[in-house]
Amino acid sequence: MSAGLAARQAALVDALVAGAPVPDGFDPVRLATTRRALLRKRAGEAARHWPLLAAALGPGWPTAVAEALDGVPPGGSLRDGRDVARWLRAAGRLPAGAVDELAAREVATRYDGSGAPRARRAPAVRRGRGSVFVQVGGRTLRLRLRNR
Amino acid sequence: MAEGVAAAAGVAAVAEPGAGPATRLGTGIGWRPEIAGIVAELPGLRFCEVIAEAIDPAAPPRGVAELRDRGVPVIPHGVRLSLGSADGLDPERVAHLAACADALDAPLVSEHVSFTRVAGRDAGHLLPVPRTREALDVLVANVARVQAELDVPLALEPVAALFDWPGDEFTEAEFLTRLLDRTEAWLLLDVANVHANAVNRGGDPCAVLDGLPLDRIAYVHVAGGSEHPGDTAAGDPGVYHDSHTDPVPPEVFALLGELCDRRLPPAVMLERDGRYPPAAELAAELAAISAAARFAPPAARAAAAGQVVPAAAGVAPGVLR
Repeated sequence: MSAGLAARQAALVDALVAGAPVPDGFDPVRLATTRRALLRKRAGEAARHWPLLAAALGPGWPTAVAEALDGVPPGGSLRDGRDVARWLRAAGRLPAGAVDELAAREVATRYDGSGAPRARRAPAVRRGRGSVFVQVGGRTLRLRLRNR
Repeated sequence: MAEGVAAAAGVAAVAEPGAGPATRLGTGIGWRPEIAGIVAELPGLRFCEVIAEAIDPAAPPRGVAELRDRGVPVIPHGVRLSLGSADGLDPERVAHLAACADALDAPLVSEHVSFTRVAGRDAGHLLPVPRTREALDVLVANVARVQAELDVPLALEPVAALFDWPGDEFTEAEFLTRLLDRTEAWLLLDVANVHANAVNRGGDPCAVLDGLPLDRIAYVHVAGGSEHPGDTAAGDPGVYHDSHTDPVPPEVFALLGELCDRRLPPAVMLERDGRYPPAAELAAELAAISAAARFAPPAARAAAAGQVVPAAAGVAPGVLR
């Protein structure tokens, strides 16, 4: 349709969400402000799909999202939230209040960090915080542990 | 349905008969699931808008279907069609927008003058296009493609942006006027975006109003945003984000007044997308918008409707009736 413009549009998107350098001629300060605004918007959207995780981090949620997802292209808010949760866990910072939320998602869907999360075909078990999540045939049961 | 609405709205024409929106419809709101109960009870609601991508045409949300069945015009508002994409449109998204219009008996649909996706990438956000002949040609071709599939008119909404592209060949108003002329699309004017652009990119918002073809307005958006600190170390003084999460600020009300001084718009609606207020506050904000847009209050309108119904029923076709 217009190859030259398409390439320039792609370079702009890459600079805003994929960590690419600012294309020539753009105001780098304003692109940086836009990049932060997009991350804040993603934080708001991901919070709707990861309410316990967002609530557990409270006012620190947008900062955590910005740190975890800067340079990571948007993958939809379900996946964005999962990326943040995994990133926090890897850093040993996953809040206790969000452990069950992540365990429930992980027992239901597989996610390798690149494609979209996919429903598990095989049964799976994940330990949460005071609960064990068991998924069989696409249905998830939460079993509360008496003594932890 | 539309005639009933026109009769109820029943106010003097503001455009040449047949040339544009022929009635003053009144005030509406963006329908969102979080406020479905409030929207259903809003006094004096004249129309609403739904996010097209949030709707399954085969099974619209109950609240939306109920408004449609009550005769409240419902406008599908696309946010992901990416009309400015230089590598063309996604045919499924075009078909979806058309299907939404059919399912909702919509009088028109709307989308943005922007791009969100290109070459397999998705910014997840409405980004501006350069104001160049090349981008204009892309928009005109994409809009024509959408119009060919729609049975109703299309209105185009200029977006708010924090930055400009290098090498712009037109002002915002020149660019939009050319786009509307070449596509015969209607204008969805968001006065909060005009305000945000003036704050963030400089310029006089009234000059933008003066440069736009206001007779092409199908309806108007207003909303409240929030200010965010910029990177002061890098010389950025801060920005106003039209986030739809706050009450409409006085500056946006003032700009709506400036618009009405120039031309009374057919319809005005509030966009709210978070931090929802209680029902009474939302109703009060709609009433304030109605007053600022110089729509008659419900009581006066009912009285006026009694006198002008015969004339109003024969009003020429408009975009929003």
